Amino acid sequence: MAVITVENLSKNFKVKVKEKGLKGSFKSFVKPKYNIIKAVKNISFEVEKGEMIAFIGPNGAGKSTSIKMMTGILFPDSGKIDVLGYDPTKNRRKLAYEIGCVFGQKEQLWTHLTPYDNFKFFGAIYDIPGKQVEKKIEELRELFELEEFMNTPVRNLSLGQRIRCEIVASLIHEPKVLFLDEPTIGLDPVVKEKIRTLIKRMNKEYKTTVVLTSHDVSDIEKLCKRVIIVNKGQIVLDDTMENLKYHYLNKKIIDAKMKEKVNLDSVEGINILKDKDYNLKLEVDLKKKSISDAIKLLNPDNMIDINISNVPLEQIISEIYKDGDK
Amino acid sequence: MKKYLYIFQSELMTNLQYTFDILVGFVSYCIMIFIFLNLWQYIYSDPSEVIKGYTMNQMIWYVIVTEILWMSLGGRKLCKKICNDVRSGNITYNITKPYNYVEYSLFSHLGITTLKIFLITILGMLLGIVFLKEFPKLTILSVLGVLLSCALATTINIVLITIIGLISFFIEDANPFFWLYSKLILVVGTIFPIEFFPKAIQPIMKYSPIYVVSYGPAKLFVDFDTHRFIEIIIIQVIYLIIALLIAHLIYWKGVRKLNVNGG
Repeated sequence: MAVITVENLSKNFKVKVKEKGLKGSFKSFVKPKYNIIKAVKNISFEVEKGEMIAFIGPNGAGKSTSIKMMTGILFPDSGKIDVLGYDPTKNRRKLAYEIGCVFGQKEQLWTHLTPYDNFKFFGAIYDIPGKQVEKKIEELRELFELEEFMNTPVRNLSLGQRIRCEIVASLIHEPKVLFLDEPTIGLDPVVKEKIRTLIKRMNKEYKTTVVLTSHDVSDIEKLCKRVIIVNKGQIVLDDTMENLKYHYLNKKIIDAKMKEKVNLDSVEGINILKDKDYNLKLEVDLKKKSISDAIKLLNPDNMIDINISNVPLEQIISEIYKDGDK
Repeated sequence: MKKYLYIFQSELMTNLQYTFDILVGFVSYCIMIFIFLNLWQYIYSDPSEVIKGYTMNQMIWYVIVTEILWMSLGGRKLCKKICNDVRSGNITYNITKPYNYVEYSLFSHLGITTLKIFLITILGMLLGIVFLKEFPKLTILSVLGVLLSCALATTINIVLITIIGLISFFIEDANPFFWLYSKLILVVGTIFPIEFFPKAIQPIMKYSPIYVVSYGPAKLFVDFDTHRFIEIIIIQVIYLIIALLIAHLIYWKGVRKLNVNGG
């Protein structure tokens, strides 16, 4: 069952343009000129209940604008959005009870209050009875391991601790859909990993549908089974993570350590990425050449070690972004 | 309503941690009162003299009350916060919550103002009693009436400043409008009662925010009269309803124009 349905969604922004210099400033003052930026162009997709999807794209691709339209923050110029049976533009208040949002670059917590007081506050905002809030806080305190800083004012928490509290604050009212907009921005790798584990655990425990945007490919790779890539306001790919990794580019990377130095030149379908001393790194396009062709080229008798891996997801996504730019 | 009381409570809890900062703000209040005390003592050559219906003591009590109302308000902070919320996109979090931003702003700022108004009132009353050695003739009921009018004045002031802040949805910077508003209230409404202005503009002033946010409660404090009390409270309630409607309308229109780019 689809919990989010987006049909032919479009949004334009009017941006003031100014010619350079003082003269331009005066001109702009007397007769302002505007550019219309097409931030989102006619996108459509559906998200199923309990799904964790990545909604990604380069800066300015329109992903945050789309999320903001799904949450009722921005009003679309055309198209239809249905989130849990509500139209975000018409039933924003009702929808607010059903969704949670975490914007990694913005703060929703009261920095001078403790996480506990903050959670009580959010409980009251969502009209949850006192006892029920206490129970929920207790549950989330354990799940997100907040014990040691539950009574420390938020302003004194580390960024990682604060983000954990931000996510918990968004879960107090048991939302059916959680929008996470760059939740791991600025965090160190250890804390990022922790946040990912917690999000996964939350999705498993509460069956919460998660829509995630992030520039960190590891976030997407480790959390989401489906990915929607947006570029220049359009969906350029909507596929499972598996398909994206194994079929979209159809390329493999071969790392080989040789007994003797091999002098190889790139041939059609086999691209030499690195050739240093006895180490070689090749990229094989499986549409043109097979792995065995590449190994034959290297001469297996001359080989000490070999590692065949998929092209890193980061590279695949960059390629898709570049294709979208063409 | 419960959620708005919780917003009020959370802001009050936050501000209780900063009581010392509020006490530092007392210094500027004392300086203001000291200046006006000397100014009016200079203007009133004879303390028993009556100018435009006010004795010298009434005049100084008037300034004490209007200054309590204005200095406890922290209007500039409120306007700046709303402007920032709109321009930086911080308002996004408020839009995704099941409350109205106008009421959120009102109750949140009431939480900031409550502690300040309580502490500055104690200071103002002490200063008045020490320097003037006299307290206006007020019964318990009239004190309650003045408190009600002061509460309404503060509420109206917050809603009016919220309206100014919400203009940020439509223009780059709403702070200059706040500057104009603050100068109007400070120069025209706080220092001189309406009776000091030319007769021709007095009726206009009666319909201006000055009447409901500073003159009304201060006049009741220095010269309480039941008829005047009813009139001021009715005008304040009408003002509050209209101001709330305008604030909601501006917010409703503004949210549709919201332009949050990036992140």
